[in-house]
Formats: sequence, C-alpha cells, structure tokens
Amino acid sequence: MMKFRFRRQSTDPQREKIKQELFAFKKTVEHGFPHQPSALAFDPKLQLMAIGTKSGAIKIYGAPGVEFTGLHKDATAVTQILFLPGRGCLLSVLDDNTIHRWELVAESTREVGGVKKEGVVSLREVDSYSLPGRPGIESSSATRATVLLLLKSCDLLCVGTEGGGVYVLELPRLSLKENQTLLQDHVTQSLPDDYRCGKSLGPVESLQEHPQQAGKILIGYSRGLVVLWDLSSRHADQLFLGKQQLESLVWERSGNLFVSSHNDGGYSVWAVTNGNIYNHQPVSSTIPYGPFPCKAITKILWRTTHSPVILYSGGMPRASYGDRHCLTIQQDKEHVTLDFTSRVIDFFTVHNMDNDKEFDDPSALVVLLEEELVVIDLLTPGWPSLPTPYLAPLHSSAITCSCHVTNVSTKLWERLINAGKAQQSRRHTHRKWPICGGKSLAPPPRQQELLLTGHEDGTVRFWDASGVALTPLYKLSTANVFHTDCDPIDDPHDPCDDPDMQQQEEEEEWPPFRKVGCFDPYSDDPRLGIQKISLCKYSNKLVVAGTAGQVIVLGLNDERSDHLVDVSVMDLLQDREGFTWKGHDRLEPRLKPAPFLPGFQPLVLLQCLPPASVTAVALHAEWNLVAFGTSHGFGLFDYHRRNAVLARCTLHPNDSLAMEGPLSRVKSLKKSLRQSFRRIRKSRVSGKKRAVITTTSKVQEANAALAEQEEVAPVQRRIEPRSADDSLSGVVRCFCFADTFLRDGTHHGPTLWAGTNSGSVYAYALEVPGVDSGRTCERGGASESSMCVEAVLGKEIQLMHRAPVVSICVLDGRGKPLPDPYEASQDLSIAPDMTNAHSVLIASEEQLKVFSLPKVSAKTKFKLTAHEGCRVRKVALVLFSSAVQEDYSEHTLVCLTNMGDMHLFNMPGLRPQVRFDCIRKEDISGIASCVFTKNGQGFYLISPSEYERFSLSAKVLIKPQCSVQLLRHLGHIKILDSSLQASTLVVMGDVNVASKSL
Amino acid sequence: MNRSFNKSQPLRHIDCNAVEVKSKYGAEFRRFSVDRVKPGRFEEFYKLLLHIHRIANMEMMIGYADVHGDLLPINNDDNFCKAVSTAHPLLRIFIQRQEEVDYSTFGTNTITRKKKAVVALRNSDISRRRPNIHIGLPHDFRPVSSIIDVDILPESHRRVRLYRHGSDKPLGFYIRDGTSMRVTPHGVEKVPGIFISRMVPGGLAESTGLLAINDEVLEVNGIEVSGKSLDQVTDMMIANSHNLIVTVKPVNQRNNVVRSSRISGSSGQSSDSSGSTGYPSLSMAAARETPSGAHGYHDDLESDEETDIVIESSLKRPSQRSSSSLASSASRTQQQLPPSHRSPQHHHHHHHVSLNQQLHKEPKHSQQHKPGQPQLHSSNPALRHSNGSLHKILNSLKTDPRHSFALPKGGVEEDGTVITL
Repeated sequence: MMKFRFRRQSTDPQREKIKQELFAFKKTVEHGFPHQPSALAFDPKLQLMAIGTKSGAIKIYGAPGVEFTGLHKDATAVTQILFLPGRGCLLSVLDDNTIHRWELVAESTREVGGVKKEGVVSLREVDSYSLPGRPGIESSSATRATVLLLLKSCDLLCVGTEGGGVYVLELPRLSLKENQTLLQDHVTQSLPDDYRCGKSLGPVESLQEHPQQAGKILIGYSRGLVVLWDLSSRHADQLFLGKQQLESLVWERSGNLFVSSHNDGGYSVWAVTNGNIYNHQPVSSTIPYGPFPCKAITKILWRTTHSPVILYSGGMPRASYGDRHCLTIQQDKEHVTLDFTSRVIDFFTVHNMDNDKEFDDPSALVVLLEEELVVIDLLTPGWPSLPTPYLAPLHSSAITCSCHVTNVSTKLWERLINAGKAQQSRRHTHRKWPICGGKSLAPPPRQQELLLTGHEDGTVRFWDASGVALTPLYKLSTANVFHTDCDPIDDPHDPCDDPDMQQQEEEEEWPPFRKVGCFDPYSDDPRLGIQKISLCKYSNKLVVAGTAGQVIVLGLNDERSDHLVDVSVMDLLQDREGFTWKGHDRLEPRLKPAPFLPGFQPLVLLQCLPPASVTAVALHAEWNLVAFGTSHGFGLFDYHRRNAVLARCTLHPNDSLAMEGPLSRVKSLKKSLRQSFRRIRKSRVSGKKRAVITTTSKVQEANAALAEQEEVAPVQRRIEPRSADDSLSGVVRCFCFADTFLRDGTHHGPTLWAGTNSGSVYAYALEVPGVDSGRTCERGGASESSMCVEAVLGKEIQLMHRAPVVSICVLDGRGKPLPDPYEASQDLSIAPDMTNAHSVLIASEEQLKVFSLPKVSAKTKFKLTAHEGCRVRKVALVLFSSAVQEDYSEHTLVCLTNMGDMHLFNMPGLRPQVRFDCIRKEDISGIASCVFTKNGQGFYLISPSEYERFSLSAKVLIKPQCSVQLLRHLGHIKILDSSLQASTLVVMGDVNVASKSL
Repeated sequence: MNRSFNKSQPLRHIDCNAVEVKSKYGAEFRRFSVDRVKPGRFEEFYKLLLHIHRIANMEMMIGYADVHGDLLPINNDDNFCKAVSTAHPLLRIFIQRQEEVDYSTFGTNTITRKKKAVVALRNSDISRRRPNIHIGLPHDFRPVSSIIDVDILPESHRRVRLYRHGSDKPLGFYIRDGTSMRVTPHGVEKVPGIFISRMVPGGLAESTGLLAINDEVLEVNGIEVSGKSLDQVTDMMIANSHNLIVTVKPVNQRNNVVRSSRISGSSGQSSDSSGSTGYPSLSMAAARETPSGAHGYHDDLESDEETDIVIESSLKRPSQRSSSSLASSASRTQQQLPPSHRSPQHHHHHHHVSLNQQLHKEPKHSQQHKPGQPQLHSSNPALRHSNGSLHKILNSLKTDPRHSFALPKGGVEEDGTVITL
C-alpha cells in the first residue's frame, strides 16, 4: 500500500528512518452505521451482536469500543448469521448459497504468556461450504438455502431450502450428513390426503429447535404446514396442518406452545400436546390489525414474563398503512406500534437464557433497520428507547459537510455534553446498554476530539470522535432561525420536543403508532442544508453556513434563551449591473424572538445576496470577524460590532453565464446535488467491494470486450486548457486569516486572504481596532468600540495556471503555520516567529507554491498535476509527531488528490515525502468528504452512513483493541454444557486486518 | 561583453567568427563586425547602432536584408541572432526612424539582391506593382511549435513542443486509450498506451503538422505516461498547456528527422530544427540550452508564462473611506470595465489614470536556491530573454480575456523583475 513513488528522491537513510517514525498509513476503524445491512445475530453468552451487509461485510459489536470486522471474499449479500454461542465463532450464509465459518482467533503463536499485546487477533474466515446447486443452474435452485438452524449442541446445522428439503451439516467441518436429509416427499407421505391435494409444501420458511427436548425441530413450510421432527429417530412427531401461508415460527419457552405468523397479517398459537399426531386448528388465531386486508407478519417473537410479550414486525392494514415499517410490542393491554422510517431487517430480544429460570423476562428489544439500530428498553414501563453508544446513524439526514476539532478543552466538552443531555427526549432511558460483550483495552483517549457534521436538514451534529465508538454529543438545529413551510408561526415549539402533544395524538390513533429512531431522509427545506462549519474552541463561537447563502454566528449558552437574532444582509454583487438571480429565494428569517435551547444559540444571521450556496467560511474569534464566500463573491463581517466590513464581487466581467443570471448555475447546482446523492447512494453498493464475478458477468465481460474491438467511439479526452468562460470561476474556495506582513517587511498586522476557482488570490490588510502588532491591547474601551474594522486590498495574485485555489496558509519566519486565533495571545502554543520573513502557501488544484512575503514572489513550488497527472482535492497542514523520539515533530502538508492518494510534503520546502493509496479514485464522494485532523488522522465517507477513520501518523492512531472472554472447547467440539471448559482468550481486535487473504 | 567589434581591424577579417556588418542610416554607412557565434543581445546591438550613427533620443527601427533579399526587422534577441547567423557574406542593416517606418516595405521580395535595395526601402513602387505577402511585425511573431531533442531521442520518436499564447488558439487535439506493441525482454508485448485520437481543424496541434492522429503519446513534459490513466494524462497536458512538450511515436515513420543532416538551412549546430510554421528560429535559445541529458528541457517548464501576476495596491494610502465603499479603487476599476471597452489601448489609458498598481512577475532567481531539486531549480536560460519573455507576457495578456487589464506597449519599463505601469 505504501509506495515511495517519487523519482529523484534522495535516499538518505537517516531521513528515511525519520520518515518511517513519522508516517504510516492505516485505515483504523469505521464509524457510523453499516451500509445496507442484511442480517443480524446475537450471541447471548458472549453478549455480542453481529451485523451482515449486502456487500459481504460482517461486523461484530459488543460493549462500546469492542468491534470486529470481517469481509467475505465475494461481495455477496449476507443473508443470515448464526453465532455458536460462547465460542467466538459464527456462521454466515451468503446470497450465493455458501456458508462461511468465522472465528475470533489469535493469529500469533508467539504469544507465550506475558504481554499479549503483540498478538493481533482478528475475526477471520476459517472455513466455507458451498451448498450443492448454485443459483443460475435451474435444476438445483431447489437446494437454495432459505433458513438455517444451529442446534443448541452446536454440532449440527440444519439448512432449510427452497425446494422444501432440510439438510443437516456437521460442524465444525460443515460436511453434509447424507443420511439425515429430509426431503419433502418424506413429509408428504404422512399427510392426510385432503391436506396433500397434490401441491408442493413450498420452501422451508422456518426451522426452530425445541426449547426443552434436544434433537427435535419444528419445520415450517411456506404453504402452512408445520412439522415437529425428531432428528434422531427421523420421524415426524406431530403435524400441524396450517392453512395460511407461513412466515415464521417461534417456540414458547416451555415447549408446550409455539406461535406461527402468517402472510395475511395474522398469527396463530398452537398447542403441542402429546398423543395427537395431526393438529388441524390452532389454539387461537388473531389478525391484530384486521379486519381489512393486512400485510404479512414477517417475524414474530413470543417471550414470557408473568404475562407473555408478543413482538412482531409487519401486519399493518394494507390500504391505510401498508407502506409503514412497523414493529408491534404487545403485553396485556399495552400495545405499541413502533413506527420506523426505514425497513425492518431483523430483530431479537435480550432475555434470560438460563434454563432454570421460569420466564424469558426480556430486558431489551434490538431492532436492526435498514438505516439505523433501535434498542427498546422492555423493563421500563412505556418501553422507551435506549440511546445507542455506537452505530450512530450519521446520515439521519444526509451529511453535507464535516469539520474536525482536536484537543477540546474539558470545559467546552462538559458544556456540550450538558447541552446534549438537555436535548434528549423523555422517551430515552439511561439503562445500561444491553449488548456488553468483550472489553475495550484501548487506552483512554489522550484528548477530546470533536467531529462536527453538517446535514441537509440544517442541523449540525457534534460527535465524540475521541475513541473507537463515534457517539453523539449534541445536535444543533438552525431551522428555527428561519420561517419554514412546516413551521406554524403561532407554535414556536418543535412538535418533536413536545412529547405531551405527541402522546395525545397517539391516543386517538389506531394502530397506536410511535415514531422511533432518528433517521429522517426527508429534508423540510433543502435551503437549510449546511455547507460550511467553523468552530473556535477557545471562544466557543461557531459559524455555520448553508445552501441559501445564510451564515449564522452562534455562541454557547448554558441557559435557555428567547431572543431575536440580528439579521444583516450583504450584497456580494455590489453595484454589478445586469444581474438577476433566478435561483432559490433566501430563507425568511423569523421576525419574532424564538426560544433557543441550551447550547449554541444564534447571535447574528448574515444573509448573502444573491442567496447562493456558501462555498467558504472562516472565523477569527479574536478579531470578531467572519469571512464567507459564495459563487459570486465574498464578504467580511464584524459580528461584535454587527458591521459589514467588506464585500467583494469575484465574478469576472466577461463571465457571460454569470452575468446572464444564475439560471444555468441553479440547474447545475440542482443537478450536481442530485448526481452527488445518486453517486453516494449508488457508489456504496460497489463500495470497497468488487463486483461479483458470476458466470453471467463473465459473459457480459466477453461481450463488452468484443464490442470494444469493434471500436464504438473510443473514450477520448480533449486537451484544452481551462477556459475563461467557466461560469464557476468566481467561486470563492478558501479563506485565511493571518497576522502577517502584507504592507512591508517591518509592520505586520491582520490580513485576510481569499482564493477563487479561477486561481485568483485576494489579500486584504485589515485594520482591527485594538489589534496592534498581533496582540490585542486593552486600551480605551469606549473609543475603541466606536471604531470600525477596515479592510484594504493589498495584493491580488493571479496564478497563471488558473487552477482553483484549494487552500491558503501563512507561514511564520520558521516556516511553520501560524497558530490559531487565541493560541498565541493566550500562550497556548509557541508564539509565531515574527522576526524573520513570513511566507504564504497557496495550494491550487494543480500546484503547491510558497511565496515570500510581503513581496509575493515564489520561493518553492511543486507542480503536482504536471508531474503526476493528478489534481489536488483536499489539503491540510498537519503536525506529525515521531513515534520514537519523544519531542520530535514536523509540519507536513497532506494532499489528497483526485486519484484518491495522499501525498505528503515537507514544509516549507515542499519536497515530497511519502505517498499512500487511500481512497478508490472512483469514489468521488469519499474523496470529497475527506476531512483531516491536525495530528495526522482523517475521516472520509465510505457510504452515506459510514466514516472510515484513517491515520497517516505513525504515532497517533485510534483503533479498536479489545478482549473477549471465550468459552471455547479445547480439542473437538463435543457437547454437554458441563464439559464446557472456559478458556479466557485475550482477543486484540484489529478491525482492518482483512480476512480477504484467506 | 561577448561582442567583438573592432573597427581598427581590416573589414574582411578572416576570423570566421566575425560577421561583417554594414549599417545604413539615411545616407550614412557604418561598418563593423559582430561575433557570429555569440552575437550578444539585441538591446546591446541596438545601443551600439545608435552610438555608431550618433542617433540620440529617437526610437529607431532596425531592419536587415536576409539571404533571400527580404527586408526583415530586428527587434529582439531571436531575430537578431537569426540575422547574424544567416548573414552571408555580410549583414546589411537598415535603420529607420520609428515614425517614418513604412511597414509595407517589410516582407518577402522587398529587397532585391541588386543594389536597388536601398531605393526599395524608400520607394514603394515595387510593392505597388507586385503585391507582397504581408508579414506582420516580428513582435507579433512567436514560436508555435518545434521539434526538439532530435539528437538524444531515438529516430522513431519525436519530441514536439507546442507554444500556446493566451487562449487565442486552442491546443486542439484529443487523446484516447489504446494498445501498443512493445519489445520487451520477453518478446513483443501488447501494452496499454495513449494515442492522439482527433485533431481540431484549425487548432494549434493541427497547424503544426507535427502531430497526427494515432501517434502514440510516450511522454508529457519529460514524464512517461505509461501506467497513467487517460484522465491523468489529460490533466498533465492541461497543466503544461502553456508550454507543452509531448514525445510521440508518430504513426507515420517516414517523415522522421534524420539525425546530423540539415533539415532547414537555419542552424546546423542547433538541436532545434524549426517547425513548419512560426518563428524563423529559436537557435539562440536552443544553442544555450544544449540539452544536458534527458532532462535538459525540464528547465523550460519554468517558462515565463508560468509566473503568476501580482497586483499590488498602495497600502500606504490612508483608507478613509467608509466600509461601505469596500473594495479598493484598484479592484473597482478592474471590475467596472465594461466588456466592450476591452481593447488594449483603452486599458492602457485607464491604467495610466488609476495608477497605484504595480505589476510584477515573480523573480525567477529566487527559485534557484534549493539544493536537491534539480528538476525544478536548475538555472533557466530562458530567463535571460527578458525582453522576449516580456512580450510573451504581453501577448498572453492581450489575447486573454480573463485578464481585465493589459500592459501598454510603450509604458512598460522593465526593472529586473518588476514591471511598473
């Protein structure tokens, strides 16, 4: 993965050694919710939960911080997962009719007592079995697996198939026990003639082992027949002649009852009484949401307490609520219909497995939905939901941008946590998380890290990114700054925040719906979407900018507050004539004071005109300045004095498209939005996962090759330099505030730098009252406040290659980036060198250049595109610390290119250091979403719902390290609980050790 | 410095390096010699001429009669060099006052090899009788393309340099993926390659005649394209588009440059055989940058067109304006220029009025202090062509509509690296 590909690289061994101590690339952990989950399993003994995905990934979760990941060789959907309870071993069934065995294994044999930390252990595939008959070959589609049952003894696996046969495989080798196979004919023989009526019984829909009597299984066929089968005697004990199409079966704990759920939305309770071979009628049969036609109940669970709890998914009245994704919990008179926003994949309960106990006493219900995981506390009256400590649905509204803040002070951290707690609805409980297997051995995080994500619905979510589990801290909504369609003026309360009202609504309703989960793909107003975020961790000021040209400056407040937000409108077109904006309107600010919850509360709303999407934002809290840019120009605002300092149009006078008005631009914005969403949604299917090579695709491939030979319009690229007519040339791409030398080499002062899409850089000298020579002086407060901040254009640089400016950064006399606001004045970092000449790094999509200051003349450069053919997408200045030498660190420029690789350059020499392949180049949304931390880590979206965390630093990396106490047999798997020998294995999970190699 | 003019010596000195110069201004003749190999710079030559003819405070136009009898102007290092190198047997120089210059006299067949040439200069009878092909002034001339590094490349390969000035003429070609046959130690192998797939009619690439459809692209500005995707190669070419050097394996191998034979009579000692159109010769530049290995031409990457433009506003001026008047005057004038007023003259005027801007290029020499990066920082011979490069900048500025300003023809004074308007 790591290539030193730059030619003409001096191979100084000393330097190479230092590089190895500084840089190392590793994908460490995936944050968020797995994309397109398809299977769920739970190991009640180890308290581990496994989730399989459509792309062939298996993820195991236990206590927060305990995570394992495995990936099947083929990117085929995982249809079922089965744990061998207590053994750190699981079976997965894929859509291609193969079964795979996975184990949590210690790789290292060198691990002899003592420190086990070196023994990297991972989830790996140890065996696989292909059921006879692959899909595609018609004759044997009959042996396609539909359901699996692992007997409690863990030595036999029963596989139900489409053809109605049940096959038995022996574990652990997954070998077929030929003589145990139960074909449908065998069953049909023993059926009464009137039930047989010549039709097939249909596929096996359910296999359930008798809870008390080992070796007896319940087989449910699609047509409705249920057979209690004795595996050892190979004989049908009882037959239950159901007439409704069967969906699922579940035993009652005692084994005296079982429940079947049906296609018509009903469920039946059957008594298992000895003596009677044929059972024609169930004890009871109910269609809970009848009498009108209902959808199927796809899965039902029957758990016993003092009175039974029934949990089932589906069954909604077809006409009125057929499109809802529901799960019903019923106990006595209590009846709740959990109404989810995405499809229910599977669910299980955490309950008492101890045979001695009388009841199941379920404590929690875990529901895997297509887009999130919901856990319901079944012990607390009202069945509230439990906040999940991991698998956070990052994409509850589509992620539009992100921002990372390192080393957050404990003070701010606590205030954020408190603000977050105040937000949590009353329906959450704080009961212990029920899935608590394994133990995280990862050291406590060295520092608190915040990841901020901006969303399409106008929210900014604050995540604790300090450790392996990304957990939500606080959610900020900006929608209440504006009037929106869905926001009745007379009701200031957000209906979601008012549970009482909601409850009232619910009571009148049948079915008794309750909205659960937070995945909400529908945005009220796309203009609310967040585009840029900037947070000052020292002053607790936050700037959030959105799609409709809104820039909101917020401050942290621990108290609830009702106030009116100041609004300031900035015309970025200035006196440019002949321009009419034909895009979306600006959002209407709320005219009345609005209530704001504790947390970040808006102070000022700046509205750019035309209300185009904000493309860049910068905050300098020490100078009370915020800079913001759109495709038309940029502005500078003093939010302390509520004063517009500067507005500058960046549209080119020749830019006919822009002058005509943004009709085309709006179209393209919409189009690009639509495309990017499609891309995000689509690209993940192929994700890290390669296309499945089946016979059909091979044929297609051959056809494609043939077609290629016939040469149908070859792919070609036009060699044209960037044209001036690009209507997006005025887009402001980046800002930089710096206290540096712009006027001359002796006087430094505040400056603002802005870079555009057409390779222009504007540098302004700022007059900030009270700021002199880089230090805030406390002199004459009154007179000072009356003075205004002024901005004077100092320099205008046109990069001749005209590529978009990606980043600007001012370097001090030692070539180090200037510290953040407050860091220097409050002695939080080493003061910048103001004695030697400063320089400015301007990174464009094609070149990296360092210019000397104040006279802007090029000092060093690296022409990435000319040399490598790749273009810069993201740039960050990162401080890399040596993994070996305690206090050695280097400032390094990290570049992510359109090829998805990371190029590292030293500063300010811009000499290439290392190159790493990181993201697939086809993964455009992944590259676009990448965000770097200041210490050499980063995040990028691998699906709409998952961040991949990676580390470029040899020193700083956050990865799962966990131990699991396994109850694993020594030697052969021979059953009987008493013979279980508990062996404790310290399992160091390494999430990204690919199991692919097997 | 490197000029050897010695009036005391006999005029027809046998020193093969000396070129006899006969210069005429009005009715006066002066004779002297210059070094054929190292003729020096035009500027020095110009000063010398003014000195010899005792001309003061006048802009003069220098012309010479070439071997074909055409009166051609000398106004930069390149054509001066060309004039000296092709002078046979002597270099005849004609000096005219700038105001009196009759441009129609320049061009082909303007001077016959007979003694009437002098008459022809003043008398436009000849041109009236036989309409000349009009040739613009040489500062409008510029190189369009050239074949370079003939001596170091295999004969089956061709290294073509395309000069793009501003955006007046697109590069105009397309590339595609394809497969090429390579001879490897394991025999002939099919490998993926990049090929020229289409030429835009009237585009720069087509007009050179040096590139053709199905030519395989091997290198872009010295970097091999093998292993790079079509998009990467596209980006590399675009990034180098101001001075694109592509090494191709022409599909038609019959027109290959045969080494050590004179293709054009221009400059035998140069590795640069001039292209089909454009500038008569780059011989001086080429002679200086005699390639020192495969990376010799890397220096050209640092062509002057690369340098970014910095416009400085006077910051000393106290800014008394209210914050509503925001942008400084400098930027305003730039913004407010209506598109119709875009002729260079207008800009010239305009900028003389609102004059607190400085335009300067990055000083190139500042890039020469980094050890260990020879590919970027070796000294650049092109830098010495300050005059020529200035013109290049001017050209690019004038022709490029993205620049909302342009430099006036006369008002530019070059002060090392800073152009002050």
